[in-house]
Amino acid sequence: MYQYNQVDQQIVNERVEQFRDQTRRYLAGELSADEFLALRLMNGLYIQRQAPMLRVAIPYGLMSAEQMRMLANIARKYDKGYGHFTTRTNIQFNWPKLEEVPDILAELATVQMHAIQTSGNCIRNTTTDHFAGVAESELEDPRPWCEIIRQWSTLHPEFAYLPRKFKIAVTGSKEDRAASQVHDIGLHLVQNAEGEIGFEVLVGGGLGRTPVIGKVIREFLPKEDLLSYLDAILRVYNLKGRRDNKYKARIKILVEALGADTFRDLVEAEWVYTRDTELKLTAEEIARVKGFFTPHAYDPSAKDDASLDQQLKDDADFRVWFERNTRAHKVGGYRCVVVSLKPLLGPPGDITDLQMDVVADLADRYSFSEIRSTHDQNLVLAEVRQADLYAVWQVLSEHNLARANINTLTDMIVCPGFDFCALANAKTLNISDAINAEFENLDYLYDLGDIQLNMSGCINACGHHHVGHIGILGVDKKGEDWYQITLGGSGREDASLGKVLGKSVAADEVPSVLRKILETYIEQRTDEERFLDTVRRVGLTPFKEKVYATDH
Amino acid sequence: MPLIINREKVQDSWALVSPEEGADFVERASGHELLLVPFDCLEVADALGSKQLGVQVTGEVEVEQLVPWLSKLSLIAIEFPVFRDGRGFSLARQLRRVGYTGELRAVGDVGRDRLGYLERCGFNAFLIAEEAYSDELLQAFSEISVHYQGSADDPRPIYHQ
Repeated sequence: MYQYNQVDQQIVNERVEQFRDQTRRYLAGELSADEFLALRLMNGLYIQRQAPMLRVAIPYGLMSAEQMRMLANIARKYDKGYGHFTTRTNIQFNWPKLEEVPDILAELATVQMHAIQTSGNCIRNTTTDHFAGVAESELEDPRPWCEIIRQWSTLHPEFAYLPRKFKIAVTGSKEDRAASQVHDIGLHLVQNAEGEIGFEVLVGGGLGRTPVIGKVIREFLPKEDLLSYLDAILRVYNLKGRRDNKYKARIKILVEALGADTFRDLVEAEWVYTRDTELKLTAEEIARVKGFFTPHAYDPSAKDDASLDQQLKDDADFRVWFERNTRAHKVGGYRCVVVSLKPLLGPPGDITDLQMDVVADLADRYSFSEIRSTHDQNLVLAEVRQADLYAVWQVLSEHNLARANINTLTDMIVCPGFDFCALANAKTLNISDAINAEFENLDYLYDLGDIQLNMSGCINACGHHHVGHIGILGVDKKGEDWYQITLGGSGREDASLGKVLGKSVAADEVPSVLRKILETYIEQRTDEERFLDTVRRVGLTPFKEKVYATDH
Repeated sequence: MPLIINREKVQDSWALVSPEEGADFVERASGHELLLVPFDCLEVADALGSKQLGVQVTGEVEVEQLVPWLSKLSLIAIEFPVFRDGRGFSLARQLRRVGYTGELRAVGDVGRDRLGYLERCGFNAFLIAEEAYSDELLQAFSEISVHYQGSADDPRPIYHQ
């Protein structure tokens, strides 16, 4: 993975001292609350319902074991012993003290971490495929490009006061595990007719109040032009994006208002000025960054292992976990392990300090000291020899990190909701608990197959409910929590927005409504048909009839 | 109001004249050696024969509208109505790009914590509210001393340096 040089380290160190001074001036009354708000947000610090919340950046979801131990240390020392992984693959701490945040940042800086631009109206953490570099079908590893974007976007002088936040995702394979089509910019590594690799560029995707699928504005962008093209998009947005209404300020609204063709024309006109400038990437720079992401020294004898087959035969629990929570690795004899942060009891995405240390130790011992955080709020140990899987599983099981539910109904994406978030209209964690209680039976979940359930506690859609196969949106009705259900969304390569099933349901009805939806699926599905495909084929009507049928 | 040019506190010798209801603009704008006017008044002001002419704009004005005037302008003041309005950062970049070399001044809601970014986008002058100014503010330019991106004085990003 990327290692800081002296310049990277100096930037982060100086940013810590800058923020320390900003905090001091705010506490001394020299900086207005409104101005400090913008400054602290650009450093990941929110003031939430209970306490401040600090969001720490995990660039493109890749961290070292040492960094994970530091996160555990922060959780223990400054927080209540846990953290929460987000859909931007960052981690949030819910209980830091405002005056201690500069010290937390200083500790993070010692392991090449920071909270820069994890919030605010600026370019946020660039995300990617959590199987980047190890997926079998990958055209090229997207992470070097994420790192190049990270450096370009970090403390960018021109793009720190954008109309609204700005999110970029990069993918390197046909499978989209980064929800790239619902990002402000989605970049897909593609090959053109000449066999060159470059980027397909999408703009104007997004969720929130107005969900939109991104539109392709350039089918092939040469690699060396990546930054000049991003620069052109950002400048057009910064100058023309709406600033009068924060709900209409995202780039998706601008692209919709102008039309994708006009927007493209503006970008291309701007690009004329920047394309052949210093922003053009050099072959040396691309090679330098790629040098940090070369394949690990894999054990050539890993594929000769015979123990796995025996363990799979002997231990049914292990077999179930292997089938559900591990994935193929491009190198024979290795597997990718998904560490489930979706236990039976406990908020999705939460992890304790002890669990962080356990995962760090496993990474050191079995997975080249690297850990990835995923867009759907789990962790990945991406490069485990198959002979080591049993040992990894045992440790994960002991620490409640091996629930064999990846990509099943209970592998939910859930925002923290009203319990923590100042923006939320409704609770989410009680609903995820209720869903877990209702659908505890794993055999039933396996029979249902892959289902993505996403839940948000308000219209801002941090839980990505629009792109869940099943989406749940919490709404406030006269002081009571109600839940609107959508069906048929997807954040993957076949991206689509879910359609509203009907009138919203009360909190205590959510599990039974889900059961009716799933029963309908079982009645309607053909052999091997996924839930999403059934919904797409039969439409909402059979689901509506079942859910809203008057009781007899 | 305190004015900073090239990181030093200086005296502001420009006269900003904006149209006022019931007053004659030409009369009020006449006789100034250094005349600064809003964009809409440029043509009228140009005929008044001041020694030097400046224009004050917001992010609403596009760089193409300013290009025909550049040879006549010694000062372009870009107004930030609220600090959140970041259009001026991009407009400054564009003005430097088309070859404007005169004074580029940030006015309006201009605070300490944006000085470094503003300078790197091409501003060399900053009008600061009296109550927000202290000499210590001049330190803000160099709080972050190394950068990934190019800037107005050195367009090379880190990988070209």
